[in-house]
Amino acid sequence: MFSLASIATMAACIFLFGLFFSLVWNFTSIVKGAEEGVGVTVFFEADIEQAKIDEIGDAIKARPEVKEVKFVSADEAWDEFKSDYFGNKAEGLEEGFKDDNPLANSASYEVYVNNIEDQAGLVSYIETLDGVRDISKSDVAAKTLSTVNTLIGYVAVAIILILLVVSIFLISNTVSIAISVRKSEISIMKLIGATDLFVRGPFILEGVIIGIIGAAIPLGGLFFVYEKACTYILTKFSVLASFINPVPRGQIFEILIPVGLVLGVGIGLVGSIITVRKHLRV
Amino acid sequence: MIDLDRVSKAYAKGQPAVDEISLHVDKGEFVFIVGDSGSGKSTLIKLLLKELEPTSGTITVNGQVLNTMKRRRIPKYRRGVGIVFQDFRLLKDRNVYENVAFAQRVIGYPSRVIKKRVPETLRLVGLAEKYKSLPKQLSGGEQQRVALARALVNRPEILLADEPTGNLDPGNSYDIMKLLEEINERGTTVLVVTHNKELVNTFKKRVITMRRGVIAHDEEEGEYIEA
Ligand SMILES: Nc1ncnc2c1ncn2[C@@H]1O[C@H](COP(=O)(O)OP(=O)(O)O)[C@@H](O)[C@H]1O
Ligand SMILES: [Mg+2]
Repeated sequence: MFSLASIATMAACIFLFGLFFSLVWNFTSIVKGAEEGVGVTVFFEADIEQAKIDEIGDAIKARPEVKEVKFVSADEAWDEFKSDYFGNKAEGLEEGFKDDNPLANSASYEVYVNNIEDQAGLVSYIETLDGVRDISKSDVAAKTLSTVNTLIGYVAVAIILILLVVSIFLISNTVSIAISVRKSEISIMKLIGATDLFVRGPFILEGVIIGIIGAAIPLGGLFFVYEKACTYILTKFSVLASFINPVPRGQIFEILIPVGLVLGVGIGLVGSIITVRKHLRV
Repeated sequence: MIDLDRVSKAYAKGQPAVDEISLHVDKGEFVFIVGDSGSGKSTLIKLLLKELEPTSGTITVNGQVLNTMKRRRIPKYRRGVGIVFQDFRLLKDRNVYENVAFAQRVIGYPSRVIKKRVPETLRLVGLAEKYKSLPKQLSGGEQQRVALARALVNRPEILLADEPTGNLDPGNSYDIMKLLEEINERGTTVLVVTHNKELVNTFKKRVITMRRGVIAHDEEEGEYIEA
């Protein structure tokens, strides 16, 4: 009766843990992908000399947070623009502009940082450099995702902690009841010389078994649901499909299953050991 | 074998349940402990089992000082001391065989030993045929024999019995006492708390009479002395 409640709470705890674990991991992977794709673009003042451009490039490269600096010449920028916005219908455009590159002043550096958090600092540094006209940054998406991810993390930790305490409490209750039911048997055991371990073992085992069952059920459930959920989300919101790439199930559960089981066994152990220590003093 | 040196036990302030008792019991002795209800007999037994700690004084059993015994040594110590109660204290949901075997499982004997010792001990107490019965299917006298078998199966050096015949009719009481005497003759030191005047006078053993926590009389081949 009580053990059912313990198992259910425990299962809820581990289920949420697994759910948030998968979510956070996926979000992290999305954020990481976004971070990698998002850089700042540094434009130069008109009629700048190539030497000056090289100087700026060296200064940026010297920064430790910089992962990669890519020079995009005005011609390259124009080519990229054309293919981005007109695709293979670009021929007509080609005719119209001919050698007159409308982006003649658009030579730039694309700067990528290792860590999106460092981007703001880098931007304010680059702004101080001589010859820099403008910096365009497009880190909003990455930043938002990063914030959402942190938020989910906090909420998850809070809920899991509460459920953890409730689980321990319920397991402790279950074990207390089991002990009180067998009180006379326990006192006989002690009087004929049973060791603490012999008397306590079965109750601790009960806690551990509750822990294992309470962990196995939600982990198994998540395992089967995970892939279905990924497919569902990707088909339902096909817009996302282009830039969301779910973390493979094996990769997540390779870690989630052992961690979840250890968590379950740990909760069972803690819950039963504190109870047994309280009630079974020889 | 058993030595008490000015042992006292007070549950609360006021008159202690056991008051500065000094007592010596030799190996192989048979001792009756008699006295009014509330005179401290059960407290004395509990002290000997280290179920209770004395308020003062020193208890030595088998050369081991109980006062300073480490907690984790207690189980080992108790295995050398058999105990029988007035209310039998059998496991109600297990049969006779399992109740006796239980005492050996607790200690971790291999089943090979258990299969040999349990029937042997049941034969000793005269219950060999009823090994499959549950406690509720047995008479009081039979239940006490099971308890006795459980206390003896690990071959303790000392047997403590707290009013073992208190719930039994005269015939069964005599049989149980006779069994205790037999066990004593095999070398076990036996301490029996009892109210049974006739039996005490019949068996002619050492009799310790307690009164309000102290030893009022202590005589070899003694008689039951009324309060
Ligand atoms: N657990 C206890 N708590 C408080 N007082 C107790 C407890 N057990 C026994 N006593 C008191 O100690 C005295 C001796 O009790 P006990 O040793 O059981 O006597 P006996 O076995 O001779 O009848 C009695 O006055 C009894 O009320
Ligand atoms: Mg008593």
